[in-house]
Amino acid sequence: MAATAADIRSALSLPTNSAAGPSQPQPRKSNSTNKKPEGISRELYALIGPSAPSLAAQLAKPRLKQKPNLGGGGKVKWEWRSFKNGARSDSLQLGHWVKATTDPSAEYPFEKYNVKSTIYTYSQDEYTRFLDDKEWTKEETDYLFELVRDYDMRWYIIYDRYEYPDGTPRSMEDLKDRYYSVCRKLIRNRPWAGDETSKIQLISSFQFDKDRETTRKKYVASLENRTQDEIAEEEALFIELKRLEQSERRFKKEREELLRTLAGIDSGLPDVIPDEDGPASLTLEVKKKKKGAAADLETPTTPSNIISLGPPVPKRAQSVKSAAQDAHHCIVRTDPPPATTPATKAAHTPVHLRSFKLPAPKAAIAPKVAQLLTELSITHTRLVMPTRDNCAQLESLIEAASALIDTKKVVDKTEQDIRVLKVRLGSRASEGADTGVGTPMDAEGETEGGDAEGEDGRAQSVVSTKSGRGRKQVSCSCTYFYIEFLKPNVPQSRRSVSISSIDTSGSVSARAGPKRQKRI
Amino acid sequence: MVNYGGGDEVSALVVDIGSSSIRAGYAGDDTPKAIISTSYGYKQAAQSSDGDVQMSETTADGDAPTEPTKKKDTKMFLGQHGPSIWREGMEIGSPLRDGLITDFNPVPALLSHALVDVMRCNPSEHPTLVTEPAWNTQANRERMAEIMFEEFQVPAFYIANTGVLNAFAAGKGSALVIDVGQSMASITPVVDGFVLRKGLVSSPLPKLVHANARHILANPTATRAGIELYPHQLIASKTPVESSAPPQYALRTDRMAGTTESWRVWYENREVDEWIQSVAGVLDQGWNDQAATLRPPRQYEFPTGYNAYFGSERYHVGEQFFHHSQQLVASNPNLPKTIPALLSDSLRGCDQDLRQVLMGNIVLTGGGSLFAGFSDRLENELSRNFAHVKIHAPGNPIERRYGGWLGGSILASLGTFHQLWISKEEWQEHGKAIVGQRCK
Repeated sequence: MAATAADIRSALSLPTNSAAGPSQPQPRKSNSTNKKPEGISRELYALIGPSAPSLAAQLAKPRLKQKPNLGGGGKVKWEWRSFKNGARSDSLQLGHWVKATTDPSAEYPFEKYNVKSTIYTYSQDEYTRFLDDKEWTKEETDYLFELVRDYDMRWYIIYDRYEYPDGTPRSMEDLKDRYYSVCRKLIRNRPWAGDETSKIQLISSFQFDKDRETTRKKYVASLENRTQDEIAEEEALFIELKRLEQSERRFKKEREELLRTLAGIDSGLPDVIPDEDGPASLTLEVKKKKKGAAADLETPTTPSNIISLGPPVPKRAQSVKSAAQDAHHCIVRTDPPPATTPATKAAHTPVHLRSFKLPAPKAAIAPKVAQLLTELSITHTRLVMPTRDNCAQLESLIEAASALIDTKKVVDKTEQDIRVLKVRLGSRASEGADTGVGTPMDAEGETEGGDAEGEDGRAQSVVSTKSGRGRKQVSCSCTYFYIEFLKPNVPQSRRSVSISSIDTSGSVSARAGPKRQKRI
Repeated sequence: MVNYGGGDEVSALVVDIGSSSIRAGYAGDDTPKAIISTSYGYKQAAQSSDGDVQMSETTADGDAPTEPTKKKDTKMFLGQHGPSIWREGMEIGSPLRDGLITDFNPVPALLSHALVDVMRCNPSEHPTLVTEPAWNTQANRERMAEIMFEEFQVPAFYIANTGVLNAFAAGKGSALVIDVGQSMASITPVVDGFVLRKGLVSSPLPKLVHANARHILANPTATRAGIELYPHQLIASKTPVESSAPPQYALRTDRMAGTTESWRVWYENREVDEWIQSVAGVLDQGWNDQAATLRPPRQYEFPTGYNAYFGSERYHVGEQFFHHSQQLVASNPNLPKTIPALLSDSLRGCDQDLRQVLMGNIVLTGGGSLFAGFSDRLENELSRNFAHVKIHAPGNPIERRYGGWLGGSILASLGTFHQLWISKEEWQEHGKAIVGQRCK
């Protein structure tokens, strides 16, 4: 958009030239009538023209929020006025500021708080007839009632201020007991206008059990006098109790779930007959146990025949008939775990295929067992026909192998010990002769030990090795192992086994000796 | 004046007489209008030219025979320009001993100074509430009532217990009030606005703390000589010296002869108090040599110009509140009891059922409780021995120092309280006995 001469003129606020030049277009009428309002750029005004929204309303000076008119608006007149307190018996006039509009004849507003509790009084006649007590004289009873009136039955204060001259020392319970018993007697013996129930109600409101109160205070005192240790112990016991309760709850829930699953109530297994009295008797038993031994709460025992799947029904059901049936159907029942086993999840064996539970050596010695069996050229990893017998045989094989490895360990360790002791003996001897040659002797001893190992050969029995001076004695018996395999696919000819190549020395170093020894 | 529910101002006066200061003001205010020193100066002969404070010779003629003859020709110097200004031959006296008024002679003059000269009010127009310590005697309160009615012509009078008032100031009806003042430390069990007298205990423990501080300052140690506590009024000139260096100052020899022993003791005590307030403290976890040496030392300069850094010794001072060493106990059988000992004594005197209530409502008050670290240490000591302890200790020093006055200000502006005033009419009718009957 090119600026015209008229624009420049207007920008410089020069008077418009009447004799317009050739470049100047004819000024339009609207231009002269509509002046550009302030606050809008010229270009924008040229675009939107005079129809621009007016900002005048928004730019107007904001009006302040109106001040709230708080009631009346007129002045409040206060005046100093003296007043008389109706709760006072004398004519004291105090003054205070009040609104002039208040009624001067109105009673003092705080008068109504002067409430006196009703305290019973008695006449001399009433005292001699009903209230005579060998522990109390009339004067002392009077004194007590006066104090009760003065201190509005605040017993702590009454007890604190109770100083009857030449009187027997009274406890707070004595005072309360006397006061309430007098009140009860007075109510009972005076003519009563209302009905009987309200009278009994009133008498019961004056009930006071002195012995009970005394015992309670004794308890409070003993509670206060606990030592720090006792408090700590109590707290610990309390926490322990909470813990037990919690674990018992959890256990109960788990057991219920288990029962529901195993008894087949929910699962609906066709073969399993839910034990009718099972859960009921179980809970009973648990309850009995709970009462009997609280300490057993954490590991409560339950009859395992219900938990374990083995024989789903109690033993008594397994009669001769069922045994015959089992034999006929080739059903083998595993023995239920002993009844003392805790009935937890871990102890329970669910239904499984036998091939899933093939015996395996312990993870720690598994590679060694594998090595040993490979050396014997037995393939134990894949059982072609995992029959019951085969499984049992495989298990015994693995057991035997691990026992053999354990023994080898012991042998190696003992040999190492012998070596070390020999070296020590040698160094001791050399020390006696010449202290300077300790090191070579050590080295010699070690080589000797190595030789000895070589000589001893495999699977040897080291009966006993005595140290030179008989101070120390290391004995170890190493048993020969004879592994017998009954399995048909194992070659029968190779029965004695060489375990020379199995490396166990790493774990039987002399340094780790004491620790290992303990375990053995 | 704040208007609150239950309040009804009758423009009553509240007067709280303490060991260090007398507080006076209008009921309903939150701070006393007049705070003047309880100690006063007096001269036996009346020829002094210092006429800035008038003497009290306004006693009625009928009372004259009972007054000591000394009073007639005694000139008293009260208030701000009273004891703290050096005058030749001026002695210092105090009406209080161990928190109790033992000498009533100067009391009217002191009260008149506070009410008339400082507050500029006419006591005969205002009902007046006066405080008393919990162990006040019956004779004392009757005498106080007599002074107020006969000499000040008050229209109504009431005497209230500082323990109760301190509990009210904390907004509690039942509380265990631990009040540590200038001369006395007391523990007052308050239940429903009444003091349990059997559980009330007090001891002049603050005096022991003061004496201990003075002992620390005045006695020479391995690193410094004993410190001279000359007040600045007796020092003509001094020059600045290095820390712990011997002071260089010249005494005003012209004044030395005219200085009385009582004035000097009083002013030296003030110096010791100032030192305690700015330097001394107490460890919050019991005495521990290592912890005490770890705290930063504080510098303090005395009027002589002597200045020094005070390290662990400043914590020995506060320890006296809570624990006394074996040798101190052995050498001094009449040692005032420590705060924990007082507390267990007090609780022993209270009912079993009340202990929980009281321990949950402990009110710590009094100027002495502003001692640095005092409330922390108290809290630690208590929480170690009791299960549920709650300490109410106002952080505002005015509220802490004038808690008794504040409680009186609250009480005397309650609408329900106005029936309890002993009116002049009742006083004339029943005589002294009414005080004991009304003010329980």
